[in-house]
Amino acid sequence: MMALLGYLIRRVFRAITTLLGTTLILFVLVRVVPANPAVSIAGPKADPETLAAIRKDLGLDDPLAVQYGRYLERLVHGDLGRSYLTGRRVTEAIGERLPATAKLGLTALAVGFFLGLLIGIVTAARQGSAADIGVLIATLVGLSIPTFWLGNVLIYFFGYRLRWLPLGGAGALRHLVLPAATLAIVELFFYARFVHTNVGGTLASDYIRTARAKGVPPLRLYFVHALRNALIPVVTLLGLDVAALMSGVTLTETVFNWPGLGRLAVQSVFQLDIPVLAGTVLFSAALVLVANLVVDLLYGVIDPRVRHG
Amino acid sequence: MRAGLLAACVLLAACAVPLDPPPSGPPARPDEVPRPGGTLRLGAAEDVHTLDPAIGYDTGSWAFEQMLFNTLVDYDEGTTIVPELAESWEVSPDGLHFAFTLRSGVRFSSGRALAAADVKYSLERLLRPALHSPGAEFFAGLAGVDEYVHGRSPEVRGITTPAANRVEFALAAVDPLFLHKLAMPFASVVDREAVERVGDLGFRRQPVGSGAFVLAEWVEGQRMRLARNPLYFRSGLPYLDGIEVTVGLSDQLGWFKYQRGEIDISGVPSAEFARVVADARYQPLLLERTTLRTQYLGLNCALPPFDQAAVRQAMNMAVNKQRLLDLIDGRGVVATTILPPDMPGYDSSTLSYPFDPAGARARLEAAGLGHGFATTLWASRDEGSMRLGQSLQQDLRAIGVELALKPVDFPTLIEAVRHPGMAPLFLLGWEADFPDPSNFLIVLLHSRSRGTNNNAFYANPEVDRLLDEAEPLLEPGRRLPLFHDAEVMIMRDAPWVPLFHPVGFAIRHPRVRNYQLHPLRPSRVETVWLAG
Repeated sequence: MMALLGYLIRRVFRAITTLLGTTLILFVLVRVVPANPAVSIAGPKADPETLAAIRKDLGLDDPLAVQYGRYLERLVHGDLGRSYLTGRRVTEAIGERLPATAKLGLTALAVGFFLGLLIGIVTAARQGSAADIGVLIATLVGLSIPTFWLGNVLIYFFGYRLRWLPLGGAGALRHLVLPAATLAIVELFFYARFVHTNVGGTLASDYIRTARAKGVPPLRLYFVHALRNALIPVVTLLGLDVAALMSGVTLTETVFNWPGLGRLAVQSVFQLDIPVLAGTVLFSAALVLVANLVVDLLYGVIDPRVRHG
Repeated sequence: MRAGLLAACVLLAACAVPLDPPPSGPPARPDEVPRPGGTLRLGAAEDVHTLDPAIGYDTGSWAFEQMLFNTLVDYDEGTTIVPELAESWEVSPDGLHFAFTLRSGVRFSSGRALAAADVKYSLERLLRPALHSPGAEFFAGLAGVDEYVHGRSPEVRGITTPAANRVEFALAAVDPLFLHKLAMPFASVVDREAVERVGDLGFRRQPVGSGAFVLAEWVEGQRMRLARNPLYFRSGLPYLDGIEVTVGLSDQLGWFKYQRGEIDISGVPSAEFARVVADARYQPLLLERTTLRTQYLGLNCALPPFDQAAVRQAMNMAVNKQRLLDLIDGRGVVATTILPPDMPGYDSSTLSYPFDPAGARARLEAAGLGHGFATTLWASRDEGSMRLGQSLQQDLRAIGVELALKPVDFPTLIEAVRHPGMAPLFLLGWEADFPDPSNFLIVLLHSRSRGTNNNAFYANPEVDRLLDEAEPLLEPGRRLPLFHDAEVMIMRDAPWVPLFHPVGFAIRHPRVRNYQLHPLRPSRVETVWLAG
């Protein structure tokens, strides 16, 4: 029990220091851009006096250390600042966009994960069959297709040509289908490949051969005996996948005009709305850290050897 | 590799697909009369930045601000000033005093009557330093602004309201552009009570004015809806019940939605432009308008070798402008001068440089640069600018100049060109704020504008003298010739390579009537109607 607690504390501490490091990197990155945010605020035609007054107001003329200190202090109070352009609180904007991103990301993850699991097991059970080779080729293609391209092709065929689904936007369930499918396809191949390899390895092990010899029915053999063992590394993968999913979400949201965090971030990049940009990136980083922390902790519970690592 | 092959196949297949017909709608009839009702559906790439007219300084914000607010005066469909909130006005012979009589019966959408005090309040609000309005500079010439800005006076002495329907302005110096400045959305009259209720920040999203429409809903990143203002002072207008803007549409997505009849006004994406323009089914739906814009290649006179006029002239002769136009699907006209063709004072006979690579080489040789040199072009990272940059690269290679492209984000570009030692060459454009040559020649090429918009860091005392002399003159007959002389001199010094004057294009749904592009402003929708 003590070992588990120690492990837990170590992990949380590591996550906090990583987050602190992230704030520093992020702070430096958004400030080395050789552009004046005042120009984005007041427009390219604004006179220098107005620009100088805006810079001063934003505290952009203070020493960097002072600015960073102020940034951290506000962060501790949960204040991510206000958008340069709209004047709205960044936390408010993120809160407004989060549900859409969560809906899209979780749907894609769930569909991709379970279909991937199924396909992974089926192909592992029928190694070398035509279906297996077909899936292998599809995986190669699927994993190398750029998300934005796939999204545009889906919109063109299912939205524009066939008129089955709406041309982007959000609202009803049918708006979710194409963007979720775009993301889920990548997820699906990713998990199919991984589960295929892992279940394949497990199927070759002695205990499965024993179970098979004892007459365990095939479905039970694959889904219970083999899958259970193969699942442990998949849990780790889920944690790591959150980061990949976030970047996929950003592209997908942009292509499909999905009003989530990703589009907010992309919009803020183009408009040099630094508080929104920094806020969304930091939020995503925190999300990835939390996901990994949860996985680490789960792992510690599942596999006692990890706690002493 | 496989994905690349697949992409190529799909692309080929897509090219073979014939252009789909435009959405169907009632054809125009000669006897038709405006029909009230309906919602105009628009698309936008991004949310508008703000709906506070004191803050917005971009086309997107202005498009909606002018639906929500009114100014004392406005433009007709061209660039002539016409009455709006003002019924009439007088200008004193010395040009220093303007007196406006307000139209009666104008109300804010809140129900409160709009009075002269609201005009004064709106301009004083704009000038308040804490608001950081980019429009404040345009009204700094009113008498008493300095005292007001520095807190020595609670009001601007130069704005007085002798009666509820009379507002008078006193200027510290003659300003031939003052009426034009009052036509800018910055000078919109806002509802003081609403501003005080929601605060300056809140007013960006909860605007209250006297315009033809009111804001009904704004879901950031998704949609904005405007509804007809029932209290609007022009009876019977607007014809539309409302406007709905779908936010977040890329060019391509917007085009798909247009073709499917889901939005009423769209741009035409570059990939489809040539086919659409050539298609008889689309031609009657296309809207086209030359704008008061000049796209130019800036030559940094503060950086060698562009500190030599001969080198700058060589650059002017080396650029194949017609090819640049082809690269933007012919959406423009070749620029030979700085002023755009629709600008008062434009003169096509102004000194210019025909395409002449051999002549360009000769000038470089004369400047001692016959062996050529290497330099860098700063440009916005968008696809269009990159295409132009590559074409310029080819042109300059032909005269021995190696051009490296430096693609950056637009705000970065604006910042870079304001530092004298940073960008040797840059691609920029300028859109006139006012239909007056000073808006190009003084704002962009007077030596006092170095550090703001004179990004070529061009300075010629003789040009300055001519511009200073022309600036306060009220009579066009004396004013324009002086500006012309200055332009000729600038063209001789060649701090710019004027490239082209863009032409604006849009396409309408066949049901849309009376939608027009304006040379200086976003389109107004007050008199737009939808055929049933």
